[in-house]
Amino acid sequence: MKKDDQSEKTLSRRNFLKTTGGVAATAAAMVGGLNLLPAKAEAACDALPKKWDDTYDVVVIGSGFAGLAAAIEAKNAGANVLVIDKMVLHGGNSIINGGDFCAPGTKLQQENGVQDSAELMLKDMLRVGAYLNHPDLAKMVAFNAKGALEWTESYIGAKYTKLNFHGGHSVKRAHGTINSSGSELVNKELAKAKEIGVKIQLRTKLVKFLSNKDGRIVGVEVRKDYKFPDDNSGKAAFIKAKRAVVLSSGGFSRDTRLRQVHDPRLTDRFESTNQPGATGEALLAACMAGAMDVQMDWIQLGPWTSPDEKGFGYVPLFCERLVGYAPMINPKTGKRFFKETGNRKERADAIILIGDPVIIMGDSYAVNKQIFPMALQKGMEAGAIKKFDTLEALAKEYNIPVDVFLKEIERWNSYVEKKKDDDFDCMIFKDAQPTVAGPFYAARLWPKVHHTMGGLNINTDAQVIGFDFKPVKGLYAAGEVTGGVHGAVRLGGVAMADCIVFGRVAGTNAAKEKPWG
Amino acid sequence: MKNKKTKKLLLAVSLILFLVALLSGGIDAAPKEKKAAPKAKAADVKAWDCAGCHKDKKVLPDSHVPIKEMPYEGCLVCHIPGEKNAGTLRTKIPGSHLHALKGVKCAQCHGKVKKPAPVEMSKCVACHGETAKLAEKTAKVKPQNPHESPHYGTSADCNLCHHQHAKSENLCAQCHKFDYIVP
Ligand SMILES: Cc1cc2nc3c(=O)[nH]c(=O)nc-3n(C[C@H](O)[C@H](O)[C@H](O)COP(=O)(O)OP(=O)(O)OC[C@H]3O[C@@H](n4cnc5c(N)ncnc54)[C@H](O)[C@@H]3O)c2cc1C
Ligand code: HEC
Ligand code: HEC
Ligand code: HEC
Ligand code: HEC
Ligand code: HEC
Ligand code: HEC
Repeated sequence: MKKDDQSEKTLSRRNFLKTTGGVAATAAAMVGGLNLLPAKAEAACDALPKKWDDTYDVVVIGSGFAGLAAAIEAKNAGANVLVIDKMVLHGGNSIINGGDFCAPGTKLQQENGVQDSAELMLKDMLRVGAYLNHPDLAKMVAFNAKGALEWTESYIGAKYTKLNFHGGHSVKRAHGTINSSGSELVNKELAKAKEIGVKIQLRTKLVKFLSNKDGRIVGVEVRKDYKFPDDNSGKAAFIKAKRAVVLSSGGFSRDTRLRQVHDPRLTDRFESTNQPGATGEALLAACMAGAMDVQMDWIQLGPWTSPDEKGFGYVPLFCERLVGYAPMINPKTGKRFFKETGNRKERADAIILIGDPVIIMGDSYAVNKQIFPMALQKGMEAGAIKKFDTLEALAKEYNIPVDVFLKEIERWNSYVEKKKDDDFDCMIFKDAQPTVAGPFYAARLWPKVHHTMGGLNINTDAQVIGFDFKPVKGLYAAGEVTGGVHGAVRLGGVAMADCIVFGRVAGTNAAKEKPWG
Repeated sequence: MKNKKTKKLLLAVSLILFLVALLSGGIDAAPKEKKAAPKAKAADVKAWDCAGCHKDKKVLPDSHVPIKEMPYEGCLVCHIPGEKNAGTLRTKIPGSHLHALKGVKCAQCHGKVKKPAPVEMSKCVACHGETAKLAEKTAKVKPQNPHESPHYGTSADCNLCHHQHAKSENLCAQCHKFDYIVP
């Protein structure tokens, strides 16, 4: 069945053009083209290129957290490793990420007097994931996150300097990198990978997995010198993977077509926080090679993004550090509408239900205590965060009915005094204070597509599972391209743990595969 | 190929592919080459002699002051931002032209070769100095230093933004609202 699908899909006009147009019409590419025909298994085998342009033990697709962790482990296990990425720059979403790495029971938690355990982290992941998580995968992450974090510190050299809170966790367990960015980790992974001899090749796009007649993945068809997003750019090449391919191509938040297949609400009315290359073609290529996908319709919207700035922006840093200290207001009613420390899905759904942007606000005590001065300043320069001398002025700016609003703030303040929210059960932090001290700061919130929980079905060895419920031989996957770890909702800071835990497993196991030829 | 059948199939398919390509305008669909100005002896034409290379298209307004023998500093008398000025030449003419007007020859980037190849970033750095130093120079650029970021430090490849033979790009604008004018 799958094979027929594949032929239909790939026999498009574009593919004809690809194989006929210009340089691509080499003998190799013609053979590659033949492979696309409705063919029996033997023909698929025949269609392997006569000559491979390159040969490695392990080929890794994607140069983010997961891919580089896999590459490093594979190399250290003795394999000869190539990492490809389609973009001009390495790092995918990892290099623009906020640098929060969740792990339980660590030294930094101890220093901050936080009691935590792997069991509790697992419980949080499952509860917030609506118990849709594949429990064995979630458990792998919760129980190995601490080791993974320590590996990134001691072996990779990344530095974490602060402990942050994310909505949905029961305790502070997000270890923030020294520069509040995932670049701290991914750039040091890249440096380490290069240092130990991993080859990195950018502007090389995975187009197709090549399998032999047993369905084993034996290599990949790529386009070299590819210029995103032009499908016709670059030229075809074939890379042999003697031991295995590790797919770590990230999520598909920016793939409007694919995400609408799974969640038709997510039209281009919703922006994304992701890098432009966060598209799903590599994931789909794996499916065409026999891999099974799971939970593709669980697509996470960030509830903390602003319609007044591009991409991720500064408002998330403002919003996420204020929740538990200050209220979120629906400007139409002047009232709070949801648990500020609730998880991403609940909060995003609540905002979408309101239908228009809402407000996150804080007084100068909360803001000065919680917000990085840089983020505040830049957010204000960008016009996404605004400053008001009085609550009345704030209400006026956002057309909030002022009387109701002032009463609501009083109500909130009474909850802060007793550290208990009778309305929505928002978690209120010990050092929170009533919202009274001007000036006040506020920003509008409207969700953006942030994370794709679904993806390839893997087992705890990071092997990709096929439609026959057996591992697709020679194919491993890790990171956001996989599904099941997070269930319905990925908790903040758990993606880094996921990527490093499974990236390392994938790399180690890929290197151990018996070479096929 | 294993047997005759497959060979025949291959032949047939090639033919079909070819025909389909023809019929559907596939031949045109090859990436469009940017029509560059005449290549002949380009290197010998003086930088200010626009018409010397651009034979078929006016690249200066008719009313433009004569610029024969004028160095880049001369252009900058008028071509600075602000009302009543002619506006910056950055983005108006390709980087190779800015360099040419500054007296930088093709060969200083490409070496003395018949067929120029893409130029590595190390060439740029050799003239423009260490990237950290360059970043210091532009530290005050608003809203954000284009030469330094948490993602790439100071080491983003120059050629991702500054193109020499095409319009330059603002790499950061993919995700940020940084409204640079990229030379
Ligand atoms: C703005 C932002 C902030 C975030 N903050 C946090 C945080 O603080 N903590 C946390 O835990 N998580 C966070 N996340 C989520 C987390 O960053 C991502 O889930 C994680 O980086 C994914 O890593 P990865 O290695 O799986 O994929 P990526 O880092 O996205 O890398 C995948 C790479 O594969 C490449 N690729 C894709 N398709 C192909 C193809 N066909 N051929 C070749 N290459 C291909 C892409 O170009 C990309 O470079 C954040 C995400 C965003 C967008
Ligand atoms: C005496 C002032 C002056 C000098 C000197 C001058 N220019 Fe100009 N230039 C102008 C004005 C005025 C315009 C028209 C600007 C406009 O479109 O508003 C112009 C337009 C141009 C344009 C077209 C810009 C566009 O918007 O398409 C180019 C290219 C150009 N100049 C190049 C040069 C170069 C190269 C030099 C130096 C070798 C130079 N100019 C020197 C005044 C000057
Ligand atoms: C400041 C350095 C610089 C100067 C000066 C320069 N070039 Fe280039 N040139 C480049 C870069 C960089 C590229 C690669 C362009 C790209 O990949 O976008 C390039 C590409 C080219 C190419 C295409 C090569 C290929 O295979 O893609 C040609 C041809 C070329 N230059 C010719 C010239 C000529 C002729 C001159 C003088 C008029 C010149 N260049 C001056 C930097 C320069
Ligand atoms: C042979 C030396 C040399 C090389 C090689 C060189 N440049 Fe330049 N470049 C110059 C000079 C000289 C200037 C004018 C500097 C000035 O005005 O201070 C300049 C100016 C520039 C400017 C500023 C233009 C403006 O509008 O002010 C940019 C951007 C630039 N170069 C980028 C590059 C890039 C990118 C490369 C590599 C592809 C490169 N340069 C290679 C010598 C060089
Ligand atoms: C992210 C895009 C980007 C990258 C990458 C980049 N630049 Fe720039 N560069 C800019 C922008 C934007 C400006 C204009 C800044 C301004 O407004 O003055 C600039 C200005 C310059 C200038 C003129 C500086 C001045 O004194 O006014 C030079 C020279 C230059 N760049 C060289 C380089 C070189 C060499 C590299 C590689 C090492 C490089 N740039 C990498 C975007 C970039
Ligand atoms: C040595 C030959 C040469 C000279 C002299 C020259 N150009 Fe060009 N110009 C080119 C080439 C070749 C291109 C195509 C892009 C490239 O390779 O840089 C080009 C591109 C351009 C473009 C972009 C055109 C487009 O359609 O995108 C402009 C504008 C331009 N030139 C203006 C000028 C002006 C103004 C002058 C005179 C100050 C000038 N050129 C002098 C060779 C030249
Ligand atoms: C693929 C998307 C992407 C690209 C490209 C990108 N950034 Fe970012 N950048 C982000 C995200 C997401 C953040 C984290 C959220 C934030 O602070 O805005 C960030 C944060 C930053 C920050 C820290 C926060 C701040 O603004 O002070 C700086 C500085 C920055 N980027 C500069 C740059 C520069 C300069 C470039 C171009 C060389 C660039 N970025 C390219 C996505 C990107």
